[in-house]
Amino acid sequence: MSGRVRILSRLRRSLSEEAGVTDEERREAVAARLRLAGAQTAPVPEIARTEGAAMLERFEAKLRGVDATVTRLGAMADLPGAMVEELRARNLPRAIRMGEEPDFAGLDWAELDATRGVGRLEEPATLSRGLCGVAETGTVALRSGPDNPVTLTFLGETHFMVLKASDVVPGLEEMWARVRRAGPMSRTVNLVTGPSRSADIGQVLQLGAHGPVAVHVFIVED
Amino acid sequence: MTHQPTTPQFKANSRAAIADGGLQEQMTKALGNSMAKRAYASGALPEFDQLRDAARDLKNHTLAHLDLYLEAYESKVQADGGQVHWAETAEDAREIILNICRSVDATSVNKGKSMISEEIGLNDFLEEKGIAPVETDLGEYIIQLRKETPSHIIGPAIHVTVPQVREAFRTHHPHLPIDRDLEGLDKLLLEARAELRAKYFEAEVGITGANMLIAETGQSVIVTNEGNGDLSQSLPKVHIVIASIEKVVPTLEDASTVLRVLGRSATGQEMSVYTTFSAGPRREEDPDGPEEYHVVLLDNGRSAMVGTEFQEMLRCIRCGACMNHCPVYRSVGGHAYGWVYPGPMGAVLTPSLIGLKQGGQLPNASTFCGRCEEVCPMRIPLPKMMRHWREREFERQLTPAGTRRGLRFWASAAARPGVYRAGARLAAWGLRLLSSGGRVKRLPLAGAWTDVRDFPAPEGGTFMDRYRPDADGKRGAKR
Ligand code: SF4
Repeated sequence: MSGRVRILSRLRRSLSEEAGVTDEERREAVAARLRLAGAQTAPVPEIARTEGAAMLERFEAKLRGVDATVTRLGAMADLPGAMVEELRARNLPRAIRMGEEPDFAGLDWAELDATRGVGRLEEPATLSRGLCGVAETGTVALRSGPDNPVTLTFLGETHFMVLKASDVVPGLEEMWARVRRAGPMSRTVNLVTGPSRSADIGQVLQLGAHGPVAVHVFIVED
Repeated sequence: MTHQPTTPQFKANSRAAIADGGLQEQMTKALGNSMAKRAYASGALPEFDQLRDAARDLKNHTLAHLDLYLEAYESKVQADGGQVHWAETAEDAREIILNICRSVDATSVNKGKSMISEEIGLNDFLEEKGIAPVETDLGEYIIQLRKETPSHIIGPAIHVTVPQVREAFRTHHPHLPIDRDLEGLDKLLLEARAELRAKYFEAEVGITGANMLIAETGQSVIVTNEGNGDLSQSLPKVHIVIASIEKVVPTLEDASTVLRVLGRSATGQEMSVYTTFSAGPRREEDPDGPEEYHVVLLDNGRSAMVGTEFQEMLRCIRCGACMNHCPVYRSVGGHAYGWVYPGPMGAVLTPSLIGLKQGGQLPNASTFCGRCEEVCPMRIPLPKMMRHWREREFERQLTPAGTRRGLRFWASAAARPGVYRAGARLAAWGLRLLSSGGRVKRLPLAGAWTDVRDFPAPEGGTFMDRYRPDADGKRGAKR
């Protein structure tokens, strides 16, 4: 406790007394600033303000730019079939690990060995439901929880993510708005931009450092 | 791994680094296109400079209210079931972390990359206490095997060559077949991935740093490309975040502004692969994630910087751009700086954290070319602050006697225009005499300069000869 008091009072002395600002004024400034949560006060770049078809196009292009792959699906019901195809094309076993996501629960997974639960030591392919896709950077935002166990995002060798077209937003500002609307803050909010990578050996960029070697996003029309 | 600063030997360290041909080659290779990548990424965003201004302003605002933002942050963390620990010194931080580890009988600890961990010398300390720290960032893992410290704040192993990585893996993975093929870079990556994958499931405690702390939500943020920091915090029972007090920003929107300049400045990425916002332990319904969440807030000299001419240094977001662009760093490498933080940001920060007596050599490691300030996303006036340190060093008589004599001699000459001009003319004449093809290869009394680079020979008369009042008294270049 004493460390806390000493650190804070040292700061207070420099920032209040010696700076000639009252604590009251400073408290008001902080409260006012925190009330701005949800509103961007800094410039929002043009690339974070796309709309409609251009926004979706940008999102896909940006995903490819960060070494992810994308396919569009007509309906959520097409997901299991598309998954079988993707796994076959990638030479992966016909198995997928996922959470309790309601969007996946009603689908017919009979052609696959679909299991539910957290990530394990060996996970060739995992599936998550993204909260939203950010066209600005090709980022997918995920909320952790029973529907989307966070370990699936990092332990899958190939990580599949599903978004509806209406989940794609122009930039980080709208992404945070959706996160705030989604309910109480989850333990983690994960922003994923392509597969894992490292240049620590020989300064040559290689994919698949500790997390996924490959990332694939299904965008479902709605 | 030594954390005893060798900063006072900066000159000797640098001389050794420059004589080390292997290191020179590796540094050139490693930093090769870092400047071009930043230039491309920042150039592609028309609002980049406006965002730098905004990032500077939001951080200035936060620092001016740092005590209050820390309190706001703390209460949010607690509301989510996390614990906040305040560490005034490195020693306090080490003890707090040790106690948390002991409370769950931890024998091994996984670590995401953290410069604060280096600053407090955590690995050596934990090892002494019988707890095995495992660095999981690939670069950190390599230097941990080699018992070295990082040489760059975001690329800790940039000084290590591929054959050296191969050798480290052969030595430290003795359970693998001795004749295995480690030729390709992919083989090395796969081996490290497999080795560490198992370790993620073994550790009781995971420690990560934090790029930011969000006052609005009580979240800690890590920005990585590998995913190791996330595995380190999601699989063990306990997640400890170590962060210095200046890491706080007000809101999620402010975090977005910082992110927009961070990746572009660091690696030329618009967004790093993983940006993770963590708050508290796993929720009741969560199937994974840590059961305990602790944040250790480290001061270690920072609160004393607030209100001084060094306060602006606390805006630093550790992007590494200043070192990537620093001619001194690029030729001597990170280890020559002798402590945790190298390059221009290290030269300014180190004396604040370990004292001018220990770190006072570093602010001299500058040619004042100004590139660091030009590229710093937080617009930190690094050269100006290095000058502040030099002045303090001089005032406190920490400058070597020879340098002091030289400066005094120069000062007395500079105060007598006639003497100064005569001296300058003599020097220009002398330099021309020593030069060949416009370069001076060897200069008496300035061997420290000419041993490693040429000195340009003056082309015409002295500055004052060329810059005289015109007939009408106006000053202008003589044509
Ligand atoms: S001083 Fe500026 S350029 Fe250097 S690491 Fe910090 S933020 Fe980046």
